[in-house]
Amino acid sequence: MSPMLDIQLIAAVTAAACAIPGVFLVLRKMALISDAISHSILPGIVIGFFITHDLASPWLIIFAAFSGIITVVLVELIQKTGLVKEDTAIGLVFPALFSIGVILIAQNANDVHLDVDAVLLGDLVYAPFDRLMIDGADFGPKGLWTISITLVITLLFLLAFYKELKVSTFDVGLSSALGFSPVILHYGLMSVASVTTVAAFDAVGAILVVAMMIAPAAAAYLLTTDLRKMLVLSVLFGVGSAIGGYWFARWLDASISGSITTVLGILFLLIYLFAPSKGLIAVLFRQNRQRKEVSLLTFLLHLNNHDSENERRVAHLQEHINWRKVRANSVLQLAEKNNMITIDNQIVSLTDKGLEFTEKALDYIITNKDEKIEDMKDDFFLFRG
Amino acid sequence: MESKIAVAVDDLTVAYNYKPVLWDIDLSIPEGVLMAIVGPNGAGKSTLIKSILGIIDPIAGSVAIYGKPYVKQRDKVAYVPQKGSVDWDFPTTALDVVMMGTYGSLGWIKRPGAKEKKRSLEALEKVGMLAFKNRQISQLSGGQQQRIFLARALVQNAAIYFMDEPFQGVDATTEIAIINILKELRKAGKTVIVVHHDLQTVPEYFDWVTFLNVKHIATGPVKDIFNDDNLTKTYGINYKVAVQQ
Repeated sequence: MSPMLDIQLIAAVTAAACAIPGVFLVLRKMALISDAISHSILPGIVIGFFITHDLASPWLIIFAAFSGIITVVLVELIQKTGLVKEDTAIGLVFPALFSIGVILIAQNANDVHLDVDAVLLGDLVYAPFDRLMIDGADFGPKGLWTISITLVITLLFLLAFYKELKVSTFDVGLSSALGFSPVILHYGLMSVASVTTVAAFDAVGAILVVAMMIAPAAAAYLLTTDLRKMLVLSVLFGVGSAIGGYWFARWLDASISGSITTVLGILFLLIYLFAPSKGLIAVLFRQNRQRKEVSLLTFLLHLNNHDSENERRVAHLQEHINWRKVRANSVLQLAEKNNMITIDNQIVSLTDKGLEFTEKALDYIITNKDEKIEDMKDDFFLFRG
Repeated sequence: MESKIAVAVDDLTVAYNYKPVLWDIDLSIPEGVLMAIVGPNGAGKSTLIKSILGIIDPIAGSVAIYGKPYVKQRDKVAYVPQKGSVDWDFPTTALDVVMMGTYGSLGWIKRPGAKEKKRSLEALEKVGMLAFKNRQISQLSGGQQQRIFLARALVQNAAIYFMDEPFQGVDATTEIAIINILKELRKAGKTVIVVHHDLQTVPEYFDWVTFLNVKHIATGPVKDIFNDDNLTKTYGINYKVAVQQ
């Protein structure tokens, strides 16, 4: 296989492996903990390296994952004292552990390929050249094996404990009462997140691995209301950004991990703006429509309350309801378009449909019963909560 | 007639950071009652339920559900937490939340199947929410969310139901719907224990009541013990509530 393909494969598998725990971190409002883990695994990697003298040893991953768990435990211990809040505890723990790692590297590992740059940014370009050789046969890049095995572990964890992860993320109390220990699941998830971070770390570095965990999940969250779809979308976004980022890097002749993160950022921004129902533009559009519909309802109620022609003159309405001309006209148009009023000789009258709508809406406002307006919801945003 | 004891709490003490929230609680709840737990804010009402269900570890004391520890009796107990304790923006549907009630009987790893789905749909119908089964949960009103929680407890098909403020933030219609379902449960011989805030409705809704304020003050039939004396002991002020019997 060509190095080109190797790099893309490693990046894509890394992105997929990161996206899965990322979904649960985002839903548990623990995005920051991935940042903490990614930094504080450094001392684990360094100590593992001193013991094994092999950067590709699986022991390194185990040591590093262990220091990831220590981070989580320390954060919880500090938080439990009640003296500082969780975000402060995170901010205290990971720089401390990270700095231990930095000092250990500076003191002892100057002569090896383990420097702070590689730790922060990763080394995808060189990944294809560190190959797994068994009896002289080439089994592909070691990095690809590491991250693929991690992905398989993550997938098995997800498939086995999907329902447990879901219930303990949504409702800790119920999960505990049903006998699915939230503590065990929490540490299970944290272990998977730590192992994934370590495995991904080699490829994309400590800072960018956070983006790979959080950005795809955050984007998917805006697009779906189904946990399964959110998981699938996150993986697709991660993989797509990884491959897209690779080609972006080639085009720019820039860092691959930097480009992947940039693509992730752009993807998130686009979804943040254009997501069909939770995107910024959709929200603004909906608020605008709701404002219009409240106006429409006010207007229809006014017509319903007043029979005399004098009260129903177009000009009078503009004065009476105290709207500026533009707003009054847009409301009139909206009402006419929906066949709720007729305008005859500057006199506005409610149609049968308008009358029915007004009565139903009134009924809803009084009783607050959702069933009454089920059939109106398709036409109008106002009642969509 | 002396009935079986459904829940027995013995010398239970719970503390947060060494500050006692519940102090030496002794409590026996007979089978088949519909009981309110009342007390001021911070009295430990939710904490009592959570420690009975093993969600919070007590520092002393023990709890028995039909004579055995809770962990052995999980299948006999259903729990409705406070509505505000979960994130309603979680990506899931009403039906899926109700299905979570079946997870306990499935145990680890096993996934819910057609049978669990059918039971969940029946529970949704019972609380009048079948039409909303595929609705994303954030799109439901507060009352509807509470009904979903109730359906999730019904699907557990338990003998004892613990509910933490099921009437909080729901309109009068939903409140009546919920209390009717709770009364039906009692009629079917179930024990229902509800953390409740509205003292006015206690005599109308419940047949038993527990007064709690860090210490256990009284437990018994509403008609015997729901009086000014106990209310004053619990709320610390001279509480005059007209008790209609």
